[in-house]
Amino acid sequence: MNSSWRVEILAIFRKEWRIEMRSLSGLVTAFLFSVVTVYAISFAALNTHIPPTVVSGMLWVALLFSAASSLTRTFLIEEELGTADLLRLVARPHAVFWGKALFNIFQCIVTSVLVTILFLGFTSTQVIIPWLFGVSLIAGCLSLAGAVTLCGAIASQASNRSMLAAAIAVPLLLPLVALGVSGMRVSLGEGSLSGGGSGAAIGLIGYAVATLATGPYIFAAVWKS
Amino acid sequence: MKTALKASFGLLTGWATIWSFTVPDVAAFQAPGFARIFLWHFPCPMLFTLLILFGAWNSVRIFQRIELKPFCFMPESDPAAKASWDIKAIACMELAYLFALLTMATGILFSQIQWGWWWSWDPRQTSFLMVLLIYAAYFAVRFAYSDPGKRAAFGAAYALAAVLPTLFLVFVFPRLPPIANMSLHPTDSILSGKIKGEYAYCVILILILFTIMAVYLYNIRVRTGLAEFELENNDAKLDAGGDTAPTGVVRPVSLSE
Repeated sequence: MNSSWRVEILAIFRKEWRIEMRSLSGLVTAFLFSVVTVYAISFAALNTHIPPTVVSGMLWVALLFSAASSLTRTFLIEEELGTADLLRLVARPHAVFWGKALFNIFQCIVTSVLVTILFLGFTSTQVIIPWLFGVSLIAGCLSLAGAVTLCGAIASQASNRSMLAAAIAVPLLLPLVALGVSGMRVSLGEGSLSGGGSGAAIGLIGYAVATLATGPYIFAAVWKS
Repeated sequence: MKTALKASFGLLTGWATIWSFTVPDVAAFQAPGFARIFLWHFPCPMLFTLLILFGAWNSVRIFQRIELKPFCFMPESDPAAKASWDIKAIACMELAYLFALLTMATGILFSQIQWGWWWSWDPRQTSFLMVLLIYAAYFAVRFAYSDPGKRAAFGAAYALAAVLPTLFLVFVFPRLPPIANMSLHPTDSILSGKIKGEYAYCVILILILFTIMAVYLYNIRVRTGLAEFELENNDAKLDAGGDTAPTGVVRPVSLSE
């Protein structure tokens, strides 16, 4: 990577990091939202054995809504504080996208790992194929962060931006949830690797690569509109 | 000439409708007579897919490259050209959504008659509902921006972002081995030659008629959109003209002068 690109991307990432560390608002909101969802689901299934398909479905729903509600902030806050124009002047569009996407990936992975540990603990679920579970979770986080960053940028200049960002991100991520649930249920002991588990893992990695590869180009096209 | 063509199209559509009710029954279905809805159901997703791809192509054209440096992908500066591609894109998306709704409606009807439920959570039905939600979000993006330039740019960006998930949901997801095994919906009727004889000829005719109708509606929508754009531009020019009144308009004169 060209050094000027690296400098710009890292500068954006550091800016996001410092803003987040001042208030911890995004991390705390995402974590609280996910924990409350996980707790509510676990409480609803009190003393009941939940099948792996339902566990993976519930976990993905919690991750999806926590990402859609919190990760879109990175762009929305720029428009709300009036700092977006300054950012347009100091950094190239691809650097802005990558800096914010990297920060969102970091935030999504931290939240997902914590929520997953809690969820597995609450529902007493055992992971049978750890590598598949890890691949599903990490590739899912990469796709979630990439797609939600882009949707945040698309909605950032609208009047009802917060609601719109979540509303347009969720339909785009439904195929990802379908793949994530297919992979995770196999990792929790339902189904087999040859019967869709490995296919789902490949699909998730492909989805993440495609989202992060096309995202910067689409973002660059609209960033200066 | 145009009237003759329209009359021929009407007559052909009428004949195709009658023919679609008289093709022989397919014994494999629970209600063989009602299976004829396939003849009207099948062309709709075909046209939907073609239209969203054409819409995505028009959306790409909204973002013309004007700088050749790497990673510079800037919107074109000419608002008229941008508006023209935007009108073509929205015409495609509106028509595509119409065909998607027709696909869903005929599919639900088929599901009730053949499988016994209006909604059976069949993977095909479910994935197509996801596609409908994705394109509903596209219209939500467009409605959220009142400025035409931003509406065109952000709408186009979402249309491009939606292409990959849509293609996955339409072509890949229903054919994944565990999903395909759960589905009651056939996946390879055309390629495996299960649709043949009179059924095949009739479905091809209806597909051609639907395509002609889609092209006709697309042209009308584009022409209407361009006329609206011209009208708004003329209004804006008049507003920007200050005291200069257009010819033929009588202005009131103060009596004190």
